[in-house]
Amino acid sequence: MATKVKVESTLPAEESDLLSIRPLGAGQEVGRSCIMLEFKGKKIMLDCGIHPGLSGMDALPFVDLVEADEIDLLLISHFHLDHCGALPWFLQKTSFKGRCFMTHATKAIYRWLLSDYIKVSNIATEQMLYTEADLESSMDKIETINFHEEKDVMGVKFWAYNAGHVLGAAMFMIEIAGVKILYTGDFSRQEDRHLMAAEIPNVHPDVLITESTYGTHVHEKREERESRFTSLVNSIVTRGGRCLIPVFALGRAQELLLILDEYWSQHPELHDVPIYYASSLAKKCMAVYQTYVNAMNDKIKNQIAVSNPFVFKHISNLKGIDHFEDVGPCVVMASPGMMQSGLSRELFESWCSDHKNGVIIAGYCVEGTLAKMILSEPEEITTMAGQKVPLKMSVDYISFSAHTDYQQTRDFIKILKPPHIVLVHGEQNEMNRLKTALIREFEVDPKNKMQIYNPRNTVAVELYFRGEKTAKVMGTLAVEPPKPGNILSGILVKRNFNYLLLDPGDLGRYSDMVISQVVQRQSMHYNGPINLLQHILTQLAGPVESLEDKKLRIFGCIDLTLVDKCVTLEWIASPVNDMYADTVLAAVLQAESVEDVPKSMPSTPTKMDRMHFKECLMEMLQDMFGEDSVPKIFKGDKLHVTVDGKKADIDLEHMVVLCEEDELLQQVVQTAVSKLYNSLSPPKVDTSL
Amino acid sequence: MPSIIKLHAISGAQDESPPCYLLQVDEFRFLLDCGWDEKFNPNFIKELKRYAGQIDAVLLSFPDQQHLGALPYMVGKCGLSCPIYATIPVYKMGQMFMYDLYQSRTNMEEFDIFSLDDVDAAFDKIIQLKYNQTITLKGKGYGLTITPLPAGHMIGGTMWKVVKMGEEDIVYAIDFNHKKERHLNGCDLEKLARPSLLITDAANCMNEQERRRVRDEKLMTNILQTLRKGGNVLIAVDTAGRVLEISHMLDQLWRNKESGLMAYSVVLLNNVSYNVVEFAKSQIEWMSDKLMKTFEGARNNPFQFKHIQLCHSISELNKVPSPKVVLASSPDMESGFSRDLFVQWCSNPLNSIIVTRRTTPGTLARILIEKETSPFTIPLEVKKRVPLEGAELDAYLRSEKGKSLSNIKSEEYSSDESDNEMEQVALGKHDLVVKQEVKTKTGFFKSNKKQFPMYPFYEEKIKYDEYGEIVRPEDYKMTDLTLEAEEEVVNKENVQVKEEEMPAVDINEVPTKCVTTVRNLHVAAMIRFIDFEGRSDGSSLNKIVAQLKPHRLLIVKGNPESIQFMANYCRKSTDAKVLTPKTGDVVDATTETHIYQVKLTDALLSSLEFKKIKDAEIAWLDSKLAQKEVDEVIYSEDVTMSESVLGAEIPTLEPVKDLSLSHHATFINKLRLSDFMVVVKKAGYHCEFSGGILQCCNGTIALRKLESGTVTMEGCISPEYYQIRDLLYSQYAIV
Repeated sequence: MATKVKVESTLPAEESDLLSIRPLGAGQEVGRSCIMLEFKGKKIMLDCGIHPGLSGMDALPFVDLVEADEIDLLLISHFHLDHCGALPWFLQKTSFKGRCFMTHATKAIYRWLLSDYIKVSNIATEQMLYTEADLESSMDKIETINFHEEKDVMGVKFWAYNAGHVLGAAMFMIEIAGVKILYTGDFSRQEDRHLMAAEIPNVHPDVLITESTYGTHVHEKREERESRFTSLVNSIVTRGGRCLIPVFALGRAQELLLILDEYWSQHPELHDVPIYYASSLAKKCMAVYQTYVNAMNDKIKNQIAVSNPFVFKHISNLKGIDHFEDVGPCVVMASPGMMQSGLSRELFESWCSDHKNGVIIAGYCVEGTLAKMILSEPEEITTMAGQKVPLKMSVDYISFSAHTDYQQTRDFIKILKPPHIVLVHGEQNEMNRLKTALIREFEVDPKNKMQIYNPRNTVAVELYFRGEKTAKVMGTLAVEPPKPGNILSGILVKRNFNYLLLDPGDLGRYSDMVISQVVQRQSMHYNGPINLLQHILTQLAGPVESLEDKKLRIFGCIDLTLVDKCVTLEWIASPVNDMYADTVLAAVLQAESVEDVPKSMPSTPTKMDRMHFKECLMEMLQDMFGEDSVPKIFKGDKLHVTVDGKKADIDLEHMVVLCEEDELLQQVVQTAVSKLYNSLSPPKVDTSL
Repeated sequence: MPSIIKLHAISGAQDESPPCYLLQVDEFRFLLDCGWDEKFNPNFIKELKRYAGQIDAVLLSFPDQQHLGALPYMVGKCGLSCPIYATIPVYKMGQMFMYDLYQSRTNMEEFDIFSLDDVDAAFDKIIQLKYNQTITLKGKGYGLTITPLPAGHMIGGTMWKVVKMGEEDIVYAIDFNHKKERHLNGCDLEKLARPSLLITDAANCMNEQERRRVRDEKLMTNILQTLRKGGNVLIAVDTAGRVLEISHMLDQLWRNKESGLMAYSVVLLNNVSYNVVEFAKSQIEWMSDKLMKTFEGARNNPFQFKHIQLCHSISELNKVPSPKVVLASSPDMESGFSRDLFVQWCSNPLNSIIVTRRTTPGTLARILIEKETSPFTIPLEVKKRVPLEGAELDAYLRSEKGKSLSNIKSEEYSSDESDNEMEQVALGKHDLVVKQEVKTKTGFFKSNKKQFPMYPFYEEKIKYDEYGEIVRPEDYKMTDLTLEAEEEVVNKENVQVKEEEMPAVDINEVPTKCVTTVRNLHVAAMIRFIDFEGRSDGSSLNKIVAQLKPHRLLIVKGNPESIQFMANYCRKSTDAKVLTPKTGDVVDATTETHIYQVKLTDALLSSLEFKKIKDAEIAWLDSKLAQKEVDEVIYSEDVTMSESVLGAEIPTLEPVKDLSLSHHATFINKLRLSDFMVVVKKAGYHCEFSGGILQCCNGTIALRKLESGTVTMEGCISPEYYQIRDLLYSQYAIV
């Protein structure tokens, strides 16, 4: 069995049972999502984001740890920067040559979102990861996939489910050789004003890679959080303050706009207070929201045929800070959501020292951003220019981000029952808490053998799946129903992890492969007479068939023709026939080199001289076992040999030796007899090949 | 164990009647399409009715009447209650087709074959799918999966792939289009290769298409000439399928400033035009790559028409200044606005009438195609709905009085409700509201500068309830034509509501009757047939079928000659068994394919030497079927049902130690000498082609390919001979 181990170790990557899941980003952190899957020689990258708290090359995931050109497939879950921000760089600046997929809505928004990102990044041009032109040309390399549509890329099957979260957000189910992996991306199981709740797949994945942004938090109810939000906005503007809501330009902002617009229309007293939404990007993407209604919830789907819910009545667009007249109370929604730079930062800096004003952080904040910092309510903050300014405005945090919370995650897992869970996209502590909570939750059930992993960046989770390999037997081979012990021989065709066993004759019928034939014809000079050639060939190959005049068939497969001192060999190519052809060729060359051609050839015995064989056999046995071991005279084809009192019978007709007393003797005599027979008998070739 | 496959052609075999086939795979019965012809021929429906209870699933290919026309009747009147599978656009547009058809018919006659309730009941049964979404059937259909694949022709158009687990794959593909069009991609043939059964049609088999440019130019010239002369153009199109292609093209033509078309009007006229365009707008992801790309790049929706005006009635159309181009449904001109306009316009030699598809023989459009040279006179049945007058009205009112007392309650409810809604809405033309909305779309937000209210929303607020936008009947009051009933339902369609009581109520309120007169119409207008069917034409159809290489080919639909033509072509070029059933026939398409599954052990696989060839790998395998044993290593408990059930009975293959097994070497691949020449040249040998023979190394070695596919290699003995031979062998996978 030692050989077996050796065989296992030399198994090529595509036959190995090892599934490795390695976060290159978003491993025990939030931001720069990028997870590598490797299984059966296929390499798949899930998301390719940047870290919002870092800039330039530092913001990239650890993609230098993988060979970009070996990646077969890249799937983008949704359009947020921490999931697709590095994509133009990856597509344009690396050797990646696989295929890249995202949903229609994601692709349409991705184009404008990243173009906006390029514009607002305040880093020097040499540090820019990519330009507008790179982004533009990356569009051609991105393919689209509809929800539930099944795609197959070189044997990797995958399809997308609605993930809630933002428009076009997808969860990907990936199936490689029967093993299913579900990558949730960011998801939310709560239906909101325009998005549907994340779908629950109807197949059970073997591995679940899920986000853990909110760890063990439980979101407050939608109604509660909405009313808390609206009353907070109301109180800020009625106390005469300005209300700043830093938001990510697309995604949750649309939800907040729907809420505010509705609230304003219900409260006529607020009509004097303007609501601004400072985003040209959102304006640009309006058409996208109008078009891809099929990715939204049923309410919107029904409504869009009548009127467009995204035509706001109380909200004005603000082109930039230059167009903004800062007089009196107002509500401003501005991007970016974490106030790293841009308009939301500018407004915050100019408003933060007035206690009447208020800022409402409505989404998730990454460590290292201003938004995260002010949540700890510091006395002062540092402006972009480096000054220190006191922070007096009210700071509130109402989470509107459509990420799953503990209850949702737990229920999701309960339904899917994945044997392995890999946590990504969450801060270290949150992730640990979630892991512990989930283990505690599911350990009560003794049947459950759920494994939970929370790998750090670049650390791979390695799982073994003994995938079953089944082949389909088709056509002639399958005529007989399978019976144990039957021998099956045929051609095994392997394509995309599917195996097909066929008879060579059926190959054309059941696959697109074609069987071909190659005929070879070799020629050389030969001066000698044909009978010399024939003699040599007969010595070599046994009986030579004479087909017609000057045409011989040797080994039953090589045709030799002698015309005008030129020998031509013709045969159907195959490894064995080629070998025979080379032998014949050698014989021809040998015949050529014979100088004195004898007038008459000794006839080569084509039949075995049995008497001669018997004599030789006697002699040999006497040499081996002594003079007395064999009887001096014998008749017929029976002979026996006696050694140390043990007798072995030899049947010369069938060349079988029998000795019941001593097996060893039987073998020795058998070998001797067969070898002798073979050396004396004329050459014979098994032409069945 | 091979499955039993039978096909019962209820309609649409060896003729041009609508497709409707009953496909039986073992115990499971699919109804493939459920079409009805333009004249609602009752004969085959009788036949179909008998099977209503036995059908387990309906698969729809396209949203038009030809492919799903009988569905409302079957569901509403015959109790068909199985799930129906269709893509999202087929679902949405199919509804539009049926609403429009119902409305057009009601406008001209007492139509009771199905009601709008039936339409909604039928469409409620539809399970909406995306392309390439695989559905696993349960219960009786255990082991069957169905997958819709893009077919072109109409938005959401589907070729169905039905797979019996691990053995049969049946492809049902009719009326597909392999060519890319303006708004649609061509059909996806890649995933169909070598089906065990292909069900297709030969309807277009004998027709050759003009090139797209020639065709488009023909349409364009025709339109321009007629308009310049001051005539109107009537283009008979369908409700929500091919009309998208033509309307998109016309809108693009009108946008071209040099076309000289800006001065004229172009109108899309059918009962549901507003909704059709709205749905088209939200289905960009189902359209061609090119449209999608422009949308992603420039964010302009291709169905945000700049020039095409939407009309829902003749009176609306009359307000549009002539000369004009009108795209009106239906394509067969048996009903709908296209027939009305034909009656109005055909006598004027300045007008022109364009038919865009070959409809069933006997329909007006088909008669026109066959004549094509005007002027001529045809007798035509003109049906009209007119309000009752005088004595008739009195009699009617008297008889209705008794009836209405009984169901007064429900009526009151519905009319009250609509009355209230009506009052809330300000005066104005409905279409104006629609237009307003279109304009404001660019303004995502409220105008920033309040002092210049560009879009006075406050006055124009669109109110809606759970049924959709509120209807204002004043919008639809007609001044010239007083077809009250029609108007009401037009409103209803516009807002896409589901209250079906309305037409009934209308008839109660304004009694009407239908009159039929036969008139001899003198047709003087120019009649043209321009093929906008968007289906694969004769030669490509044959090529595609031959290329798919089905094991069995079942040809339905199409006249007998074209079916014969296609059958002969396929018998010649493939090894397929060709079946051509007649209507009413039941054909047995069971294949005698032998097939079973085996498990491969790791030890066996690692002993194999795989050779790469194209995208596959092959190896010679000698193996022994192992004795049954309990397989303990199951990697997870959550393998899906099907896998674990199958796993129980799958035999295992093991390697054999017996070395005496031998086999002939097999060379696999199809070599092209021209490709090989490149290889030889790359390896640094001189070679050239002469007379179909590849000469290498100064003519000492010659390669030729015989007709049988055999490659011969000839040459003097030399080192080069062996080197070239090695190169040649490297082109094959040898096992």
